[in-house]
Amino acid sequence: MNTLTLFLLASLLLLAIGLAGLVTRRTLVGMLISVELMLNGAGLAIVAAAKCTPASEVHGQLAARFVMGLAAAEATLVLAMILVVQRRFGKVTLDEVSSIRAPGTGRPH
Amino acid sequence: MDRAIEKILATIWLPFDGLEVLIAEYLPGQRVAALAAFGLYALIILAGGLMAIGSRNLVRAMLGLVLTFFGVAGMYLLLASPFLAFMQVLIYVGAVCVLIFFAIMLTRNTSEGEESRLPGPGTAIYGLLAFALPLAVLVPLIVRHAPKLQETAYGQTETRLLGQGLITGDVFSFELISIILLVAMAGAVFLAWRRPEPAAGAAGRGPAER
Repeated sequence: MNTLTLFLLASLLLLAIGLAGLVTRRTLVGMLISVELMLNGAGLAIVAAAKCTPASEVHGQLAARFVMGLAAAEATLVLAMILVVQRRFGKVTLDEVSSIRAPGTGRPH
Repeated sequence: MDRAIEKILATIWLPFDGLEVLIAEYLPGQRVAALAAFGLYALIILAGGLMAIGSRNLVRAMLGLVLTFFGVAGMYLLLASPFLAFMQVLIYVGAVCVLIFFAIMLTRNTSEGEESRLPGPGTAIYGLLAFALPLAVLVPLIVRHAPKLQETAYGQTETRLLGQGLITGDVFSFELISIILLVAMAGAVFLAWRRPEPAAGAAGRGPAER
């Protein structure tokens, strides 16, 4: 049990919590929150691994920053999707969204 | 537990040179202090994460998420990466949380929304499985295959080196994330764009036609 193990266990905790939230949440907003948790865990694991092993720590931190940028882009897109779903279905629960189908095969509501 | 945490603490417990010297001179129990800080941050992460996935009020869930972000920022401080901790607060707490708050408010999904009901027993079982399976698979792996740590001291990562990396070796990832952000922004605007209402003759076709 060394330092890296401790940090990896913390990021694993974030992954597990985020996955559980992703399964149990009923709305798209709740799922977005869970995905952000998991992305945080990924960043923490990358930085800890790069810092504590002989790997290049600069690369590790830049990769973590890449993850942060991806999280921001993903949150932006999900916000737009939530807006579209809200406008079309009136609410953003998964039960509603699962009835999405291609245009022309019937109106979803 | 090895001396690595002690080394980490000696360099970054507080990322200021003067205080660092002070602590190194006057605080012999550095390792204990670093472990205590780690435990505190882990506790913050756990509490915030449970609040984020368990709260029936989405605004409270977002506050739990903010708590987790701060806990992870503290972990970055313990890893001698103060600039990354600052970025974590700036990007996640500053930008992503505002986006999530907008999403909550625009869907009016605060306290009496769909999330106010507790999940059914089936969903709860799935949730427990989703929580336990990664732990069951990965914890033994992580503990058993702990890699050998580097022997040199853990210096604080210089921000100058990060900037140099961004414009030399890692310039591709820099450009890539720029393009991704631009495309995401354009895509978000495109998705959320409210089309003008169709003319009266085409009204029967409705918005599903677009």
